[in-house]
Amino acid sequence: MSSTIGSGTPAAAPAGGPAQERETPRSAAPWSLIKRFLIAREGSIIVVTVLLTLYFALTLPAFVSTSNLHALLPYFAPFAILATGEVLLMINGEIDLSVGGVYLFAPYLYYELATAHIALLPAVLISFAACALIGLVNGFFTMVVGINSFITTLGTLFTLEGLTLIISHALQVTAPGSQLSGAASGTQVSTFASVFGAGTYSELIWALVIVAIMQIVLTRTRWGLHTIAVGSNRLGAAEAGVRVRLVVIRNFMVCSTLAGIVGILESVRTSSITPDPSGANLILLDAIAAAVIGGTLLAGGSGTVIGALVGALFLGVLQDGLAIKGVNANYLYFYLGAAILLAMVINVYVGRVRRGSGVG
Amino acid sequence: MADQLVPGEVIVAPTSAADDVLRVEHIAKSFGPVTALRDVSLHLKQGEVLGLLGDNGAGKSTLIKIICGFQKQDAGNMWLKGKPYQPKSVDNARSLGVDVVYQDLALIDELTVYQNMFLCREARHLPLPFLDSRKMKREARKALNDIGINLPRLDVPVTRLSGGQRQSIAVARGVYSDADILLLDEPLAAMGAKEGAQILELIARLKQEGELSMIMILHNYVHVLESCDRVNMIVDGVIALDKPTADTSVDELTEIVVDEYRRARLAAQADEAARAVAAPSVGD
Repeated sequence: MSSTIGSGTPAAAPAGGPAQERETPRSAAPWSLIKRFLIAREGSIIVVTVLLTLYFALTLPAFVSTSNLHALLPYFAPFAILATGEVLLMINGEIDLSVGGVYLFAPYLYYELATAHIALLPAVLISFAACALIGLVNGFFTMVVGINSFITTLGTLFTLEGLTLIISHALQVTAPGSQLSGAASGTQVSTFASVFGAGTYSELIWALVIVAIMQIVLTRTRWGLHTIAVGSNRLGAAEAGVRVRLVVIRNFMVCSTLAGIVGILESVRTSSITPDPSGANLILLDAIAAAVIGGTLLAGGSGTVIGALVGALFLGVLQDGLAIKGVNANYLYFYLGAAILLAMVINVYVGRVRRGSGVG
Repeated sequence: MADQLVPGEVIVAPTSAADDVLRVEHIAKSFGPVTALRDVSLHLKQGEVLGLLGDNGAGKSTLIKIICGFQKQDAGNMWLKGKPYQPKSVDNARSLGVDVVYQDLALIDELTVYQNMFLCREARHLPLPFLDSRKMKREARKALNDIGINLPRLDVPVTRLSGGQRQSIAVARGVYSDADILLLDEPLAAMGAKEGAQILELIARLKQEGELSMIMILHNYVHVLESCDRVNMIVDGVIALDKPTADTSVDELTEIVVDEYRRARLAAQADEAARAVAAPSVGD
């Protein structure tokens, strides 16, 4: 066994011995670093988002104000969280449309529990657990019964939206515990509210923490590795011993739970719970858009949580900037659609470059 | 099972011995209306290389997938080193010392070389759940060097590698798994002559070391006679031949296949004749 197999450079191993990883020559470092960045999955959307932000910042003085930053956050943080869950499933080659339904349902469940004299925190936690259970149901129908996840979650989307309308009698209610400075409520309630959405940076912190955790999960743990494996080659992953069902069902549960978190954060932030399925459906589509713009393919096998965060930021900046610019709201979805198509073209092109290069 | 036998068919009973590491008895497996295995029994001795032959669709891969825990048999039993053996999963079989190199390689295109090599056996910074990539890279490099495969980088996705390189990674993954029994489903399928020779050389070396026992599916009879101690041939879902390679020849193995082909043709002709008889009544 003296010669080599297929490496193209027969037996002559580099001087450092074959056990050494070959390093890129130092002189090429700056350019290769830029190239590496540009063809990273997130690279192009980061550049586009920075350019868009610069454009609005230079043309609209109001865009860079603190108050606008605060106004921007709700346009961005909730979608970042939802898109993170969606990315996990899209890497699996699945999709979860029911996040819209969960987003709508979770606050009402929380409301019902809280009005049934369950303390606020347990009520929230029970609601999160119920959302995880919805994910389990999605996963069961998809992985055990064998229904395509698009169909499964379309079913649960409508079911949950219908269920929400039934239990709410289509009436708007006030989110329990959302009064920051209510006279009757003590400091504990306001602490609760500021943690669960009402604090200025609450949603942003939730989003950053969740994205950071999921990024680590995806890139540094077995869970992430198996998620990619299942999406890239489901049969091969199963043959290698990956527990495919467990991996996909677990991701469905995470995705649903994140949708429940966003639903409750948003209801506490706005201090009202509104049974509006059409709004929830738009939020669902925005979340998928954020994931796609961020560089996650629907085909499975690859995706990025950081990209989803930046994709959500891009959507937020676009919406906010256009609003300040006084652009007719009718144009918003026109631009959004164009942005998705453009992002996909860039993704496909960059993907080709990436496969041709030495960058992993 | 005897009532299903075709006249003129031979079923070889396993001649089991005390040093069998693996014994498989009366395995049957169907997929809906398709019967892959009717009644397969075989045994594998310590340090032995058993060649598994048979026509396309004879059920060789199915048998491998049952032994490695990927599929469950409909009937029949298995013993591993004298103990009843019924793997619950691929992972379970692996922990019992049975590993496999699949025909389709089971490589994940999006994952890197070392991630593929350690898929489901990942090194981690326990008790933390984080992957120990450095350790995996180091051990993957060592394993690949050991078997003479020199790849410049292990942190590139395997999708960039050639067919032969991918095949050799799949083989390395199996060989380097601390298994006692290795199942190889056409390990030379995607390889050129030179690369194939290296894998056969590796198998010869492993055989010489004597710790690993192997069942190998091969299509090339010359390779079989060269690398295997013994051959089993599956015909129509049963083992129709069990001989040491020294006692058989390319001619004999070919004859069995040709004979099988003849019988299949006769059956097809009989079928056609029966249909021809039935046809006029339908036509009127």
